Amino acid sequence: MVTLYPEKLINIITNDALEDKLVDSFKKYGASGYTILRARGAGSSGRQADMTGFDANILVKVIMPEERMQDLLDSLERKIHKGYHLTVFITDIEVMTPGKFDKTLN
Amino acid sequence: MSSLNNLLLPAVLFFALGCIARLIKSDLRFPPDLAKVLSIYLLMAIGLHGGHELAKADFVIALNSIMWALVLGFTLPIIGYLALLMTRKVNPMDAAAISAHYGSVSAGTFLTAIAYLDSAGVDYESYPLIMLAVMESPAIIVGLILAAKARQSMQADKNGLSPDGTGTVAANTDDNNGGFGGLMRDAFTNGSVVILIGSMIIGAISMPSGMEKLFPFIDDIFMGVLCLFLFEMGMVAARRLGDFRQVGWLLAAFGIVMPLVGGMVGVLVGHYILDFSVGGATLVAVLGASASYIAVPPAMRLAVPEANPSFYLTLSLGITFPFNVMVGIPLYHGVVQSLAT
Repeated sequence: MVTLYPEKLINIITNDALEDKLVDSFKKYGASGYTILRARGAGSSGRQADMTGFDANILVKVIMPEERMQDLLDSLERKIHKGYHLTVFITDIEVMTPGKFDKTLN
Repeated sequence: MSSLNNLLLPAVLFFALGCIARLIKSDLRFPPDLAKVLSIYLLMAIGLHGGHELAKADFVIALNSIMWALVLGFTLPIIGYLALLMTRKVNPMDAAAISAHYGSVSAGTFLTAIAYLDSAGVDYESYPLIMLAVMESPAIIVGLILAAKARQSMQADKNGLSPDGTGTVAANTDDNNGGFGGLMRDAFTNGSVVILIGSMIIGAISMPSGMEKLFPFIDDIFMGVLCLFLFEMGMVAARRLGDFRQVGWLLAAFGIVMPLVGGMVGVLVGHYILDFSVGGATLVAVLGASASYIAVPPAMRLAVPEANPSFYLTLSLGITFPFNVMVGIPLYHGVVQSLAT
């Protein structure tokens, strides 16, 4: 039986123009890494189906221990208050190698 | 050449085909990022070509063109901003973001104008190309200044209404909008500006024999690539036009009137002040008339998050771009022609 360890997965859907800004926050607020995927779909900001590479959407995933994620969530909330369109949702996950998420990005 | 002839340019016909493909809900899809690849090629080719010509150019005229490009880039967004506020359809934030698009330029429109002039056999100077590179950025800066002012006054209103301070979000250094210096740097290190200016310098300093080897790449296939690019842009524009209802008639009218105003200012600058040929002045008019849809949208998303992106994208990509490609270019050419004779 493999031992699994609980972690939180922060998911963010937003425009790719905000990618650098988000990555800066990840570094500043102690994320250990992140994964970015191209995304399309529709929502409160209308259809985001542009696959031309101009004005595309991204789905950003960050795994963090629950006790460390509050600062990052606060910074995301401040961005939303400023008018940035971020869809943020957090899921419970289980990981096999918790050590990977201890080290913060430089 | 009449405007009907402009519609019969292969590149413009492909643009129309792209629009039609979307309207009839064809399953036609270009591979992701193709338009980006094509636009890199187009900027590189036009830069190399123009740089090669500019090596023989007159330094004083070049400097004068740059100065007037800056004047256009700084003035047009202010005209647009005031006009937008007069429509009373958008808030100052949206007006700032939209007008930044109209002060900046669209390389796609410029290249279509080159295709038009080439097929009409009209000569043009290479100075408007430097102006194209220069005009990408100033409007972004003006847009940011206008947005910052609007933000201040809206914040003041909000604080007046809610003295408990709910309107004020705790300021945090990483969450300011990148800082003015950072945004200035972004405006001038924008990808298309780097490709265009870099290729122009390479074209200007390369050995002529080396440049000759490049001609099949930058000249012979250029129009074919432009057709492909406009084909895809037609699909993108038609998709944007679907958002037309959100924008409303008055704003849509702005998407047509503003390029006419910008185009006429461009005609005046190109014809009377810079004293360019008919072709050159037409290109300056196109610079004045066109609205950015590549460089400015991400800058506004980043720096003016309060503005509604569907306003500026629909206007610049769904209305102004097709208008300029199909109607504007021959119109500006006709006006310059009638002034010159």
